[in-house]
Amino acid sequence: MSILAKIFTLLRGTSTEAGQAVVDKNAIRILDQEMRDSATELAKSKEALTSVMAQRQLSANRGSTLLAKRKEYEGYVQGALAKGDENLAREVAVKLSDVERDLQSEATNVQGMDTSITSLKTAIRNTETQLTRLKQQINTVKATEAVQRAQSAVSARHSGANSKIGTALDSLERIKQRQEEQGARMEAAQQLEHESGDGDLQARLANAGLVNDPSNVDGILERLRGPQRAVIIDASTETPEQQKLLAAESLFGDRK
Amino acid sequence: MSHWTIEQLSQRLAEAFGSANVAVLEDAAGALQVVLAEAGDLEITLVASEDQIHVSTPLVAGAQVQDRAAFNEACMRLNPINPLSNLGLATVDGKDMYVVFGELSADSTEAQIVMEIRTLGVNAIDAIETLKPFLVHA
Repeated sequence: MSILAKIFTLLRGTSTEAGQAVVDKNAIRILDQEMRDSATELAKSKEALTSVMAQRQLSANRGSTLLAKRKEYEGYVQGALAKGDENLAREVAVKLSDVERDLQSEATNVQGMDTSITSLKTAIRNTETQLTRLKQQINTVKATEAVQRAQSAVSARHSGANSKIGTALDSLERIKQRQEEQGARMEAAQQLEHESGDGDLQARLANAGLVNDPSNVDGILERLRGPQRAVIIDASTETPEQQKLLAAESLFGDRK
Repeated sequence: MSHWTIEQLSQRLAEAFGSANVAVLEDAAGALQVVLAEAGDLEITLVASEDQIHVSTPLVAGAQVQDRAAFNEACMRLNPINPLSNLGLATVDGKDMYVVFGELSADSTEAQIVMEIRTLGVNAIDAIETLKPFLVHA
């Protein structure tokens, strides 16, 4: 089973809070163990590769020596034959045949070791890839664990007995509610503007100085009910408001 | 190791999202929370680890889903068309929680991280709006 499959099985098998902690611990433990196994395997493969490569070098050296020896013996055989010394030629040929057998054997050795070297290099590459993946998976599991711890911390921040993690669903509701509120506010504002159609007039009259503070309205009515009462008001009975008005009258020369 | 410390990240994100909306989670190492005002105060959790920055937000509790099989299939179909974020199922405090998450390289720039968070917010809201027919109706 692949490591991912093992972790997935663990994740599926447990859904309780305690289970979750066990999963996190186990996942890390499994991955750590796999990492150690892979690292051991990698070290072994590298050691084996070094040893095979050294043996191959020795074998190749022996091969070169044998090749030189073969050439040398061939020369001897040819020399002996040229001299017509059949016996000597045969004697050397026997040695040459030994050399050639050894040469073939070394060649077979080297070929075998080359195959080993290729497969060891492949194994090392695979183990290295495996180690990288394991490291990534450990980091992912650790990050997942950290994310879950963080999310638990977030849910703990929501005070109250029914503390609950805020989800996108809650946010969607909030957005809709805000949109509705916004819509309602805009509608209310429009309605208000509609209803107070004379509100605008009030504002313009106020700007033009034709209307006063509402608290003055009664005073104005009182003043204007009787003809020219204002001018006969005794200065001592005037309110500060009326005094200001009188001052204004005299300033602008309206009622002189 | 990430070239970001959680303090640096918190400071930079506070500039982008408002300091009131960014908090370092004291109970969880290397984690901080961003409240995304533009996405209905969606709470996004960011965890910076050795080689990645993980941002995630809860989509909906498993208990709120009416037909889990149908919902799962809808999630699988939605996932490939959801740019930058993934949908997943996690267990938080012993309960099934669907999550929307994204992963960034630990050497991501501030702009990339901010972009990831904003996209996550948009994706989460879009996803839940799309998946709402599968939920338990209150």
